[in-house]
Amino acid sequence: MMFDATAFIAEQTEAIRKSVPGKAIIACSGGVDSTAAAVLASRALGDRLLAVYIDTGLMRKGETEDVAQTLKELSVRHRIVHAADEFFPALRGIVDPEKKRSVIGRKFIELFEREAKTFGADHLVQGTIAPDWIESGGQLRDRIKTHHNVGGLPENMKLKLVEPLRDLYKDEVRAVARALGVRVSERQPFPGPGLAVRVVGEVTPDRVALVRGASAIVEEEIQAAAGRGLMPLPWQYFAVLLPVQTVGVHGDLRVYGQTVAVRAVDSIDGMTAVYSKIPHEVLDRISIRITNEVGGINRVVYDVSNKPPATVEWE
Amino acid sequence: MRVYVVDNGGQWTHREWRVLKYLGAETKIVANDTQVSELDGLDGLVLSGGAPRVGVDPGKMGRNGEYLDSFDAPILGICAGHQFMAKHLGGDAAPAKVPEFGKSIVEVHQPDVLFEGLPNRFEVWESHNDEVTQLPRDFIALASSENCDIQAMRHRDRPLFGLQFHPEVEHTQFGADIFRNFLKLCESSK
Repeated sequence: MMFDATAFIAEQTEAIRKSVPGKAIIACSGGVDSTAAAVLASRALGDRLLAVYIDTGLMRKGETEDVAQTLKELSVRHRIVHAADEFFPALRGIVDPEKKRSVIGRKFIELFEREAKTFGADHLVQGTIAPDWIESGGQLRDRIKTHHNVGGLPENMKLKLVEPLRDLYKDEVRAVARALGVRVSERQPFPGPGLAVRVVGEVTPDRVALVRGASAIVEEEIQAAAGRGLMPLPWQYFAVLLPVQTVGVHGDLRVYGQTVAVRAVDSIDGMTAVYSKIPHEVLDRISIRITNEVGGINRVVYDVSNKPPATVEWE
Repeated sequence: MRVYVVDNGGQWTHREWRVLKYLGAETKIVANDTQVSELDGLDGLVLSGGAPRVGVDPGKMGRNGEYLDSFDAPILGICAGHQFMAKHLGGDAAPAKVPEFGKSIVEVHQPDVLFEGLPNRFEVWESHNDEVTQLPRDFIALASSENCDIQAMRHRDRPLFGLQFHPEVEHTQFGADIFRNFLKLCESSK
């Protein structure tokens, strides 16, 4: 018995309609999960739903523009909130990954509550999927990492939570997204806290800019290689900025520069993963481009760990 | 067919539920302190893996022991469920000399319905600090890996099975086949 996306959509649309008598906002990051949830909820609630996308300043290259375009195409009522100047000060001096996640999670909720108040909503729809609440732990389960849409929620939150995708895995959500005509259905997962968890160590605008530049190159080169049939498109592929400086030589001059790790894994649901066997010629292109095009980076390493024992993200 | 998953807090409990659901079983995840009477009439039970160390900490295993003592239908213990099964029935489980995380190879020494149709060597995914160090009475070992002697075990007469590796995750080869074989067992024990 396979997963029946059409039946699921009909069931959940009805369920959302029943559980939300008034207005709701949905936290939309532009990823597959929250976009699918936004379209589902928008089918159920129409104009009583407002999708809120928050530009945290921790997004990838071109992401905010792309999300705005997607929501427009899908005719989902939405609002883009520019809030980079609220996130960076909150993150100052923080290096602990769990602390980063909880600071960002709290900031998200603060902004969503503000938006909900303005819109007059009393429900918050989220695109939480199974691995999010599994990894966030609770009761018997150990916490692997706090997913901001689960562990970051304050206990006294006034908004009532609706999570239509709670029991689904990514591959099932993709099927739902395809059935709903969501263009980003095959987009790679991107963590809620954004590039903050891809900068190991303190999160500053400069360091985020470095990892953003490096990640864009990893994405371009891997997508191009997959397009030419050199490799299958991995489940996820990105760059991580490490808090390590190493020695290099640039035009006969000693430099002491930053290090980037390239991470690419194959998986079906994110619960287990193997590192992608990227051809060396592709790694070579990535390395040359990053060290030449992104100022300050003089070393690129490739992460060859599976999950378990590692996780996909470094933080 | 109704086969429930007893949640001992593992990262992959939900995957067990999903595989069973995809194979057409009527399934549900239940807390491990669920009353035995509420499980009456089920055709099988999966005892999930757990949060670190729970397999060797009976205090955290709820009513798993009562299920093992009173349930007639087949039971499949996975990881912590497997370790607890050994400990509860008179064998032992303890910290592994070499914990295994991620990819490993198991070798099946003892043909069994659980592994029917599978090769004798296949790739599995592991995630454990503890392991079964002594089989309970009337149990036989079915499979091993390089660093763990008891990767699979079963009772000689009762339909009790234990697996140290995780058949529920996507990267374990033939994982769904193992569940399919388990469901067949549940069907035939009805």
